[in-house]
Amino acid sequence: MVEPILRIENLYKNFGDVEVLKGVSLTVEEGEVVVIIGPSGTGKSTLLRCINYLTVPDSGDIYFEGRKIEYKQDNLSIVRQKIGMVFQEFNLFNHLTALQNVAIGPSKVKKINKTKALELAEKELLRVGLQDKADHYPAELSGGQKQRVAIARALAMDPKILLFDEPTSALDPELTGEVLMVMKDLALDGMTMMVVSHEMGFAREVSDKIIFLEGGVVSEMGSPEKIFNNPDKERTLEFVSKITRLGPIDSSRGGSDI
Amino acid sequence: MREQIAFFVSIFPALWEGLIVSLKLSAGALILGFTIGLPMALARTYGKGIVKKIAIAYIETIRGTPMVVQLFIIYFGLPDLGILIDRIPAAIIALGINSSAYQAEYFRGAIQSIDSGQMMAAEALGMTKKQAVRHIILPQALRIVLPPWSNEVIYMVKYTSVAFLIAVPELMARGKMIISWTFKPLEVLFWVGVIYVIVLSIIAKIVDLVELKISIPGFQMSREDHY
Ligand SMILES: Nc1ncnc2c1ncn2[C@@H]1O[C@H](COP(=O)(O)OP(=O)(O)OP(=O)(O)O)[C@@H](O)[C@H]1O
Ligand SMILES: [Mg+2]
Repeated sequence: MVEPILRIENLYKNFGDVEVLKGVSLTVEEGEVVVIIGPSGTGKSTLLRCINYLTVPDSGDIYFEGRKIEYKQDNLSIVRQKIGMVFQEFNLFNHLTALQNVAIGPSKVKKINKTKALELAEKELLRVGLQDKADHYPAELSGGQKQRVAIARALAMDPKILLFDEPTSALDPELTGEVLMVMKDLALDGMTMMVVSHEMGFAREVSDKIIFLEGGVVSEMGSPEKIFNNPDKERTLEFVSKITRLGPIDSSRGGSDI
Repeated sequence: MREQIAFFVSIFPALWEGLIVSLKLSAGALILGFTIGLPMALARTYGKGIVKKIAIAYIETIRGTPMVVQLFIIYFGLPDLGILIDRIPAAIIALGINSSAYQAEYFRGAIQSIDSGQMMAAEALGMTKKQAVRHIILPQALRIVLPPWSNEVIYMVKYTSVAFLIAVPELMARGKMIISWTFKPLEVLFWVGVIYVIVLSIIAKIVDLVELKISIPGFQMSREDHY
């Protein structure tokens, strides 16, 4: 068997008295698209942030490309370069143009020459369909465009896996489609992705595996067919039908648009 | 009126020399204040343990004592410890140290006003904290800080007048000298005031231009109306 690209074992994280993650274990195979769903406050964002140690877990192990990440000894910068992250609030660097936002990682972190970094950035902007917005500042972009620049920024580091934390939930409904489209293209290109999202259309169509996170643990995990049609737990069915019902626009459009 | 102008022309050379000294003091103190203030702001914001404590103690001590006291300690106090400093450097050091504490707080305010997502995104790319501060946080913070910082410039030009207490021949001291040979306090002080007003409005204009020059669309609240 091939080693999974990401293996999380028994991850725990508390914030003060609040136990958020209570023993999360999961694996992500290379090329896989994993969608994580779960109620608000259940620790989905915390889980993603623990993977690249933006949040330091209390205990548990994370193996990336077969190697255990050692918080104390590892150069986290090197690990993070290979783990791209896309945020709900985009977090584009406000003082940089779209092109500079994408180029800054390669140029300052990977220290590749500036002209090369800008060329690379142009290529990545082209990939998300925003080459004509290269000189725009974040404030001059729509939400959907901002998120696509943020995806290009992550891609420019040539990551082995991309983590998405609710990439479309800060967007106006009419703008989610363009972002989901880019994500779908990435999936088709074979990018390994871990996506926290309640876009059920995307989950159904693009994902290989859906993880239902609840109460700080993986409550159920399986293929989209299984999770949507006959999950093991009644609670899973209840949650899935609830979010599908709550987001009728999302699920119908997500399915047809992409 | 004619007489007034003639009087102004007669005292102008002396006042001009004083103004030059005032501006040198201001520039020196602002630069010193920036050089100490920015690291203090960073230490107070990102520092841990003793580093942070030292920064807080420094900033709060300086802000908690009158500038005149700081000036006198440096000019009259330090010689007791065998450290003799000339008037002008003493004034620049005192004004600069005083300014550094205020500048530190301006910088800290600006840094803290930056959304935490900026640091997170920078670290997620693989930047170290240091790189993130340098390439992401500071370029934004320095733009945000410019409007309050320009107030510090204005205050500083005015505050240099305390240097006359240790007989630095700045604008105010010149004015006082001229009063002592002309016996026209009201007229002299009027013209000193006029010079301050003119110089300060020129500085305000320059700051505006700089702000405009480095502004970024939709980024600086104070400049949003330009777009
Ligand atoms: N830095 C923090 N300090 C303290 N508590 C935190 C911190 N980050 C998260 N929490 C708490 O941990 C819990 C899980 O938060 P998290 O953001 O991971 O949930 P989530 O599943 O992503 O929720 P949502 O769907 O609302 O985004 C929440 O109760 C939250 O208040
Ligand atoms: Mg979240």
